[in-house]
Amino acid sequence: MTYTRTFRNLVKYGVPAVCWAAGLIAVLLILALLSVIFLKGYHSLEPGFVLEESREAGASGGIRYQIIGTLILVLTTAAAAIPVSLAIGITRVSVLKHSSLLRHVVDGGLQMLNSMPSILFGVLGFMLFTQHFGWGKSWLAGGIILGLMIVPIVSLAFVNHLLSLPPNRLEAAYGLGLSPQQVLVSVWLPHGWPGLVSGLFLGLARAMGETAPILFVAAVFSGAGMPLGITDSPVLALPYHIFVMAQDSFDSRAQANAWGTALVLVMLVLAFNGVAYTLRMKLHYGEHH
Amino acid sequence: MKNFAAAPLQSCKKNWVRLISAVAVIVLATLALLALIYVIGESAPVFKHAGINFFLGHEWYYRDSLFGALPMIYGSLAVSLVALTVAVPIAIPASIWTAELLPVRWRSLAKGVIELLAGIPSVIYGLIAVIYLREWVYDLFSPWFLTSGDSLLTAGLILAVMILPTITTLADDALCSVPEQQRMAARGLGLNSMETILYVSLPQAAPGIFSAVVLGFGRAVGETIAVFLVVGRMDGQLPNSTGLLHSLLGTGQTLTSKLGGAELFLAYGDKLHWSAMMGLALVLLMLIGFSLITVTVTRFASAFVHHRFVATNGRLSA
Repeated sequence: MTYTRTFRNLVKYGVPAVCWAAGLIAVLLILALLSVIFLKGYHSLEPGFVLEESREAGASGGIRYQIIGTLILVLTTAAAAIPVSLAIGITRVSVLKHSSLLRHVVDGGLQMLNSMPSILFGVLGFMLFTQHFGWGKSWLAGGIILGLMIVPIVSLAFVNHLLSLPPNRLEAAYGLGLSPQQVLVSVWLPHGWPGLVSGLFLGLARAMGETAPILFVAAVFSGAGMPLGITDSPVLALPYHIFVMAQDSFDSRAQANAWGTALVLVMLVLAFNGVAYTLRMKLHYGEHH
Repeated sequence: MKNFAAAPLQSCKKNWVRLISAVAVIVLATLALLALIYVIGESAPVFKHAGINFFLGHEWYYRDSLFGALPMIYGSLAVSLVALTVAVPIAIPASIWTAELLPVRWRSLAKGVIELLAGIPSVIYGLIAVIYLREWVYDLFSPWFLTSGDSLLTAGLILAVMILPTITTLADDALCSVPEQQRMAARGLGLNSMETILYVSLPQAAPGIFSAVVLGFGRAVGETIAVFLVVGRMDGQLPNSTGLLHSLLGTGQTLTSKLGGAELFLAYGDKLHWSAMMGLALVLLMLIGFSLITVTVTRFASAFVHHRFVATNGRLSA
C-alpha cells in the first residue's frame, strides 16, 4: 500500500464520513420507527380504547382484556422468575467457590439459556403444559415459560450487581466473624436486591412483548376474560393481539386498532425499561457513596 | 474477597437458604438437560425414518410421511445471511462511531438510543414489515413478476433492523476494550486519528467484532414472529425459481416459521410427524450451538494469542 497524501486524506475524511453516516442511519431508524408507531397509534389512544372490550374481531372497541391479560402474564412471569433468579444468584456468589469450574458452568449455562430462540420455549411449553399436563391454554403455563425465559436476564443482572459490591463491606462482615450464611443475609441480600429488581424489570419488558412463547401455551385472540382456573384458562395478550391483527390487516379499522395496541405495548415496554435503567443509574451513583 | 467467598459450606449451622438455592439450581440444570435429551430423543424416529434425507430432502409432505427439512434450513440461512449482509455494513461503522468518534458523554446516549431498537417487541417489527416493508419490496421488485411482497428478502430486511443493535453494541464493547495506550502509541508513531482506528483499534477488536456478528446471526436464526409474518406461505418446498435474487424474492419458510405455525398442533398426535417437528427444533438448536461454540472458540483463541504475543512485557510483538 502506498502511503500517498491522497490516500491518507482519504482515510482521514472518508472513515469518519462513513461512520457518521452509519451511526446517523441507526439513530434515525429508531426515531423513524418510534414516530411511526406514535403517529399511527395515537388516534386510537383514548380512555375508551384502554377500558372497553374489543368487538368485531378487533375492528372496533378497545383492548381492555388484552391489557389485563398481559399484566396477568407479567405478574406470573415475575413470580416465576424471582425465586429462580434469587437461587441462581445466591448459589453463584455464596455457595460456589470463587475459582471453581462450576461458576463457569453456571455462567455458560445462563448465556446459553439467554441465546435460546423464544419459539423453543413455546414448543417445549406446549409439549409439557398444554399436552402432557393437559392444561390446554393456560395463563399459568405462559407465565412459567416466560419466567424461565427471562431467568438469564434477571440473574445475570443480579449476579453482576452482587459482584460489583464494594469488597470492604464483605471484608468487614467476615472480619466480625460472621458465617457465610450470616454474610448472605446481612450483606449480600440487603445490598444486592436492587440489582435483582432492575434485572427483573429489564426481563419483564422483554417478556411482555414476546409472542412466540405464548403462541401455543397461553394466548388466544378472543373469547377470554379474567381466567378463573388453571386448566383451559387462556388470556388475551397485547403482542398476540397484534400478531393476529397483522395477519389480516386489510380492514383499515382493524389496522388502526393494531397500531393503537402496538403503541400501548411499546409504552409499557419503554416504561419497564425506563424503571430498570433508572434503578441501574441510581445503583451506580450509590456505589460511590 | 477471593478467600472469604471460598469458606466451606459445612462450617455454618443454618445453611438452609444456601442449601435450597443450590438444590434449586441443580434441579433447574437437570430440567434443562432433560429438555435437551427430550428433543434429541423425540427426534430420533424421524432420523430413523428419513436418515440423512432429513437434512438433504427438499420436500416436506407430512401426509406422505415425507420429511425433508432442507427448505426450512435454506430459508433460515437465507434470511439470516440477507440480514447480516445488510446489517453488518451499517453496524460496524456505527460501532466505530459510538466507540471512537463520539465524545465520551454522548457515547452512552447514542448507544442507549440504538439499544432502544433491541427493546421493541418483535411482533411490532412484524407489523411494520407487514404494513410498510412488504409494500416497498413489492413496488421495488415488481418488474420481476412478484406475486406479493412476502419473501425471504423482506424477512431478511426486517431481521437486519432487528439485529443491528445487537451487533452494534457488542462491537462497540469490543472496540472500547482496546487499551487506550495502544491508540496513544499509534498516534505517537504519526498515524492520524482515523488511521489509528483502521490499523490499531479495528484489528485488535476484530475477534470481538467477529463474535458480535456471529451472535447477530444467532439472533436472526432464532427470530420467529417478525419472520413468520412476512416470509410468505410457501410450505414444504424449496423456492422453485433459479438465480439468487429470484429465489430470495420468492416466498419461503424458515425453521422458526415452521415451528411457529399451526402444523405444530397437527403434529402432536402423530408420533413421526411430531418427531419431525422436534428434528427441526434440534436443527435450530444446532445452529444456535454452532454460533455459541464459534464465539467461545474465538474468545479462547484471542485470549491465547493475546497472552502469547501481546502481553509479553507489555510489548507488542509478532
